[in-house]
Amino acid sequence: MKKLNFILAALLGMGLNYSQAQTPKGSVLIKNATVLTVTKGNLENTDVLVQDGVIKQVGQNLSAPSGGQTIDASGKFLMPGIIDAHSHVALDVVNEASSPIVAEVRMKDVVNPFEIGIYRALAGGVTISHAMHGSANVVGGQNATLKHRWGSDDPAEIIMQDAPRTIKFALGENPTRVHGRGNNIQPRTRMGVEAVLRNGFNEALQYKKNWESYNSAKGQKGNTMTPPAFNDRLQTLADILDGKIIIHCHSYRADEIYMLINVAKDFGITKLVFQHTNEGFKVAPEIAEYTMGASVFADWWAYKMEVYYSTAFNAAILQRNGVITSINSDSAELIRHLYHEAAKTQRYGGLTDDEALAMITINPAKQLGIDDKVGSIEVGKQADLVIFEGHPLSSYAVPQMTFVDGVKYFDIKADTDDQRQFVSATEMVEPVYLHAEEDHQCLQDVDAYFEAFQGAFLEETL
Amino acid sequence: MKRQFLNAGMAGLLMTGILSYTASAQSDPTGKRRVSETYAITNATIFASPGQQGTKGTVLFREGVIVDMGANLSLPKEAQLIAGDSLFIYPGFIDGSGMAGITKPTDLERPKDFVSSAPPDEIAGITPWRSATDQFSITGNQVDDWRKSGFTLTQVVPDGGMIPGKAAIMVLGNPTTVNVLMENTALAANFRGSRGMYPATAVGVMAKFRDVYQNTALALDHTKLYASTAGVSRPEMTPTQVGMTAVVQKQIPVIFTANSDLEVRRAISLQKELGFKLILSGLENYETVIDLIKSSGTPVLIKLEVPDDKALKAQKKDSVSAATKAQYDRVKEAYDMALKQASLLEKAGIPFGFSTIDAKPGDALKAIQSMVKNGLSEKAALAALTTNPAQILGISRVAGTIEKGKMANFVISTDSIFKESAQIKTVVADGYVFDYEVKKKAAKENGKSENGAVKAEGVWEYTAETPAGSNGGEITITKEGSEYSGTITLDDPSGGGKINTPIRNVALSEKTLSFEFDVNAGGNNLTVTITAEIAGASMEGTMSVGQFGSFPLTATLITPSLTH
Repeated sequence: MKKLNFILAALLGMGLNYSQAQTPKGSVLIKNATVLTVTKGNLENTDVLVQDGVIKQVGQNLSAPSGGQTIDASGKFLMPGIIDAHSHVALDVVNEASSPIVAEVRMKDVVNPFEIGIYRALAGGVTISHAMHGSANVVGGQNATLKHRWGSDDPAEIIMQDAPRTIKFALGENPTRVHGRGNNIQPRTRMGVEAVLRNGFNEALQYKKNWESYNSAKGQKGNTMTPPAFNDRLQTLADILDGKIIIHCHSYRADEIYMLINVAKDFGITKLVFQHTNEGFKVAPEIAEYTMGASVFADWWAYKMEVYYSTAFNAAILQRNGVITSINSDSAELIRHLYHEAAKTQRYGGLTDDEALAMITINPAKQLGIDDKVGSIEVGKQADLVIFEGHPLSSYAVPQMTFVDGVKYFDIKADTDDQRQFVSATEMVEPVYLHAEEDHQCLQDVDAYFEAFQGAFLEETL
Repeated sequence: MKRQFLNAGMAGLLMTGILSYTASAQSDPTGKRRVSETYAITNATIFASPGQQGTKGTVLFREGVIVDMGANLSLPKEAQLIAGDSLFIYPGFIDGSGMAGITKPTDLERPKDFVSSAPPDEIAGITPWRSATDQFSITGNQVDDWRKSGFTLTQVVPDGGMIPGKAAIMVLGNPTTVNVLMENTALAANFRGSRGMYPATAVGVMAKFRDVYQNTALALDHTKLYASTAGVSRPEMTPTQVGMTAVVQKQIPVIFTANSDLEVRRAISLQKELGFKLILSGLENYETVIDLIKSSGTPVLIKLEVPDDKALKAQKKDSVSAATKAQYDRVKEAYDMALKQASLLEKAGIPFGFSTIDAKPGDALKAIQSMVKNGLSEKAALAALTTNPAQILGISRVAGTIEKGKMANFVISTDSIFKESAQIKTVVADGYVFDYEVKKKAAKENGKSENGAVKAEGVWEYTAETPAGSNGGEITITKEGSEYSGTITLDDPSGGGKINTPIRNVALSEKTLSFEFDVNAGGNNLTVTITAEIAGASMEGTMSVGQFGSFPLTATLITPSLTH
């Protein structure tokens, strides 16, 4: 019976079976702010009452919660916590690059709550990040949606346990370079990428059927059917086909984006988000009609061949074509000022304030399947909030306080020098110098950095 | 080091040789046979088990078993006497997991049709069918180093990849036999990925571990069905599944190497998910998971090492900014916590043992003393060396304390092992007696040169005795301000002459000089650490080369002369 349980548990694709830690929840009253709800307009001189981690009331002259703090936010802006739909912060491992499909690996297994990037993200108002597997594989590992509860030493406490499962896919140059050129196996071309996907899904259908036949046969008297081999890789692909997992696909070119839409159609997959999507503007109506949207950079391209045909108007074009569009960081640096990145959609495309703010709040929440819980300031939602000095889309905006579930994890007034949680006993302390001269080669090697390649597979060149 | 194998004289043969060597009693051409297998350590202070007061008495043992102990024993005539006056006897230490004597099997050649995304288990480091007994040799690397530090029993784990194979408990006794106490005691596992193939990283290793475990369970189901029902296809378990069976059936635990708190959490969560028995090994940073270890009831073997204080020593006293000073303080705080961790385990009531993997045998007692200085009780420290690992390994019936009927495993020291001045003089393992050289106290006094200060700078001519023969060269040490630097010459490992290479992390702590350097041997970069005690114009210490062991080193100052 026990054996059955663990196989069931595995089939359900549970990440690390951490004991469900009780995450901290706070109560706080934020008074007299200009509240940017994102979904319900802007409210001047408004109070937001948070009780036990949940937004209880939005209105005027609210009274303080019992045992909670009251914060005067007169002259300041309050917005929903920023959500980064593409990040690799707080992961000990990013790429299990060794196979074209590694659907069985789980980023939840390697979350590192000590990484200082979490605090830096909080300082930029980011309360949730999507900690993704890298893009070395056609089907990468399962991602983790993190809540930035800085200070916890238990990975389970920073994993958003009520977020749905998501998985990384990657098209184009990265998987073909790693596996085709690097290892001389499929995929070597974009056609090969499609074949890997279709073969994988077909195998998953077969796998699912084998298990169904076995499960219905095994209880019967005189059964001679033996259990099929367990394969978490195929099981995960089957879960995608069953709509249990949202695909987040690294992609650049319009042809490959359209290819994946067709593959998804053929296999009845509807939970699909495109990442990067630099040529998304060419297939915006198709993305709008068939997918959960696109998550893009504001203005970052030309770091490899497939990323040359790009425009800073991408986000605005997608948005105005009805695509759920988000702006992401994919970088431990950009994550600190995603509000600037969102503001660029106003300079390039003239989006409204609400449209621009939605790109870093409710839209990424939709893409991660958590928009019923976070992404806007609404009664009943989880109290992930940021107080800004200056409008968040202004160049002069400075985040003042960041809350996750009503608990304050960043306060610019309490921002002491050394915020590290973990210091090594054998660490040599070197003096820190700030570079005086401008670094003009900021895109050099960005490719390797950005894809977080670990180099191991490069040695396999035959 | 001298092993006490007395030449078997005629008298010895007549008296006792026949008793134990009936099968081959004709002659002993090697001259190594012991005169008698009965020994008595007389009139020593016996610490029979952790927490017990030392009592004066004699311990009598025969053929590796404690026969009797007490104050007024009548000793048999054949007993060889070891004068224990002024000495302290402890139960022989037990290493919860170690790699002393283990030689890594050579990597298999990759087949022509090798595909790195789906490599054969054996190449990917998944070899649960292997046994540490096949990789162990009693005369192998570091066996005598660890014995010299008091270890008489060790659970050796095989070398390899993510699942290298089965552990075995070895007694570090008779140098001419196999010395297995128990085989297949646990399955070794770790989060180490395979280079350039699947699984390459910790996240892949965890997925692969689930896969291997669950498919073993299913293969066993298949086998069971085959046994009970006609018409079932023939089961065929892979070598991996055969090797995993005892774990899946919960007959033996998985001994998981988990250095950090995050790795501890990962191992425990895999254990909760799959249900196997678990022992955690090699813990270095675990302060934040003590509650989890406690609540999960997982046995732990912490690494027998305390962090070195080189980083602390390197902190500058003057002219540092407030920010740097604040960072210094945090490193100091982390260092203090690292030393205190073991005592926190004791406070939490967790009966832990030690793992010697990647630790330095020469520093073992110092590490224990440091833990005791930082809050660990002497009782808990001795328990961690004896009764706790005996319990965790399931060998309490025969080992862990000095009791009638248990194995004759002892550590005999010149003083309480918790005193810095203590030196281990004799180790008895499985009734075999190993004597070690004890440095005279006077030598310490000589540590000072004429003007009272120990000087490291100058050119030293050194010799190191390695298994490959005697090796030597010059060590040049210079001092600028309070910083040391220098170079060392050595025989080029790739043959042909000498090479001169810079040394780093040079530190002089009281009389102890230590430094490191890198040497490239056959494409592998090895870090060599030299630690030596300076006494005037000579120094004496060890040269340790990673996993290869440590070797004695001596050096004399050739310039400048201290006496001018």
